[in-house]
Amino acid sequence: MPSAVKKTGQILIKGISNPDELNLDGQLPFYSFKRFFVPEKEGLFDYQNNKLRDKKSVYPERSQRALVGMNILDMKAVNLYDQVFEKDPYYQARRRNILIVGYSLTPEIENNIFEHKYEEDILEHLPFDIFLADYNAPSSRELRNSPPLKLRGGSGGLYKVFTGSIKGQRILEHFGYKDYEHIQFSGPIKEGEADKRMERLRDRLKNHHNLKIWEELGQRCIECGKCTLACPTCFCFRIDDAPAIKENLGERSRCWDSCYYQEFSEVVGGHKFLDNTAKRIHFWYFHKFARIPDEFNFMGCVGCHRCAAVCPVGIDINKVLEDIENS
Amino acid sequence: MHNPYQPEPAKIVSISRQTSSVKLFRFEFAQNIPGWKFSYQPGQFVELSLPGFGEAPFAPCGGIKEKYIELCVRNVGKLTARLHAMKVGDRVAVRGPYGNGAWPAGKYDFKVQKNLFIAVGGLGLAPLRSLLLGKNYFLGKDTKVQIFYGARNPQEMLFRHEYENWKKLKIKMELTIDKEHAGWKGHTGLVTTLFDKCDVLQNSVAFLVGPPVMYKPVLERLKKLGFADEDIYLSLERRMHCAVGACQHCAVGSYYTCKDGPVFSWAQIKNIPDAI
Repeated sequence: MPSAVKKTGQILIKGISNPDELNLDGQLPFYSFKRFFVPEKEGLFDYQNNKLRDKKSVYPERSQRALVGMNILDMKAVNLYDQVFEKDPYYQARRRNILIVGYSLTPEIENNIFEHKYEEDILEHLPFDIFLADYNAPSSRELRNSPPLKLRGGSGGLYKVFTGSIKGQRILEHFGYKDYEHIQFSGPIKEGEADKRMERLRDRLKNHHNLKIWEELGQRCIECGKCTLACPTCFCFRIDDAPAIKENLGERSRCWDSCYYQEFSEVVGGHKFLDNTAKRIHFWYFHKFARIPDEFNFMGCVGCHRCAAVCPVGIDINKVLEDIENS
Repeated sequence: MHNPYQPEPAKIVSISRQTSSVKLFRFEFAQNIPGWKFSYQPGQFVELSLPGFGEAPFAPCGGIKEKYIELCVRNVGKLTARLHAMKVGDRVAVRGPYGNGAWPAGKYDFKVQKNLFIAVGGLGLAPLRSLLLGKNYFLGKDTKVQIFYGARNPQEMLFRHEYENWKKLKIKMELTIDKEHAGWKGHTGLVTTLFDKCDVLQNSVAFLVGPPVMYKPVLERLKKLGFADEDIYLSLERRMHCAVGACQHCAVGSYYTCKDGPVFSWAQIKNIPDAI
């Protein structure tokens, strides 16, 4: 049961067997829950000589997993995976076996750049099986000293409990908990008016390409790719064949890639369409704030600020977005 | 659940040499798959899969109604070197077709409205051959096609023994080679120089297929001749891995070359920096 736990000052996601280890103080885990949905590497096929054998029967993630205490920002990223990998049988096989237990406490503003807040009306736009809404913990400081999660039914309970799937209902009822409210998922986007910040950023990126921003960032960025690893919405991948030690055997697999890497856009003959750092960092931002909005009508950034936290040269997404908006 | 990454086994049924580095391979699927028949439109592509060597995108270049697939492949990398070393009867795997297949023929009534002008360089002629072989089917019997084709030298010209047959279909080839060559009596110079030597077909839709360096100068010429942006179509080349619009390698602006392309109208992509 991978869950948020606190170690060496960082919130990490670890398998737990004792509920006391669970930490729900509103801090973002250092890494997101991405790898449980889109693993860093996964086999697609085995091959022998020139015959491919489907790996379907041996998906390693067959086993069931519960992700407990997922914050709203990381849950928003799941909406993106669900769209991008909608027709992907490897993703779907894994997704079916994931139980999401969401939690309402939102990270503090510095790590929540779009100031996403928990409000009951966002629940129908989040993918979860069970959701724990904490109504009695206004500040995360108080909560750190509060006793570990206890679910009590009826009035006076610390948490209001929601379900977002039949699976979630079954689990709660199995443990004799009936005082929940069911929320029907109605898609990732709130009806009504479009997200104004998304519209503005997309318009700037598509219609007012400002070379200066990207050239300046291109000077600073060292293309380490850390932001793409830490980012919950970076999902791009490459597909490779790798031989096994035994002759004529091997595996076709896909693994995370990064648009910061030089060979990302290289075609036969060596030509690279993204042939400098400025173009590559622009590609990263364009994907999140123009291409994903065009495809799915929501932003490809959940505002978690993890990219800035890991950036060795101090590129702060918040500042970059301001620059784009003011360009 | 259908697996979009699953290629179907196919075998090589014939190989013919086109140029010193290019061979034309003909493949047939190894088994019948109930309820599935491979078919494609000109402009679409397939992923050729050689386990151990990976996958690469190629545009089929044979007749679309044939039961075989033809791919015209230059020996330039690991996968293509492997393919060039293979023999008739050897096994490969193919998945696809991919691409929008939004062959713009639907947009125009070629029979009464438009002619087709094509500017093409080098290996770019390969994906066009499916269209040319099916010219009467796609464009109608009376529609004229004019092709400006540039190659490095006469030996590098693809399908050069077929041009006579194409002529009967009202397909007119204007050929040029980069530099003077012994025995060559046709034009010399880059494709763009043909615009000074030959009249471009009036009232045409334009197709551009070839090395990216060709696009800007040819576009300039077409704009001067009054072609509208939405009547100019270009085939884009990009690195591809998934071919289903997920992996991000082939993204151009908000489009995916694999899914929304690889053929785009100039109107679609002209405002995207570095699209060409």
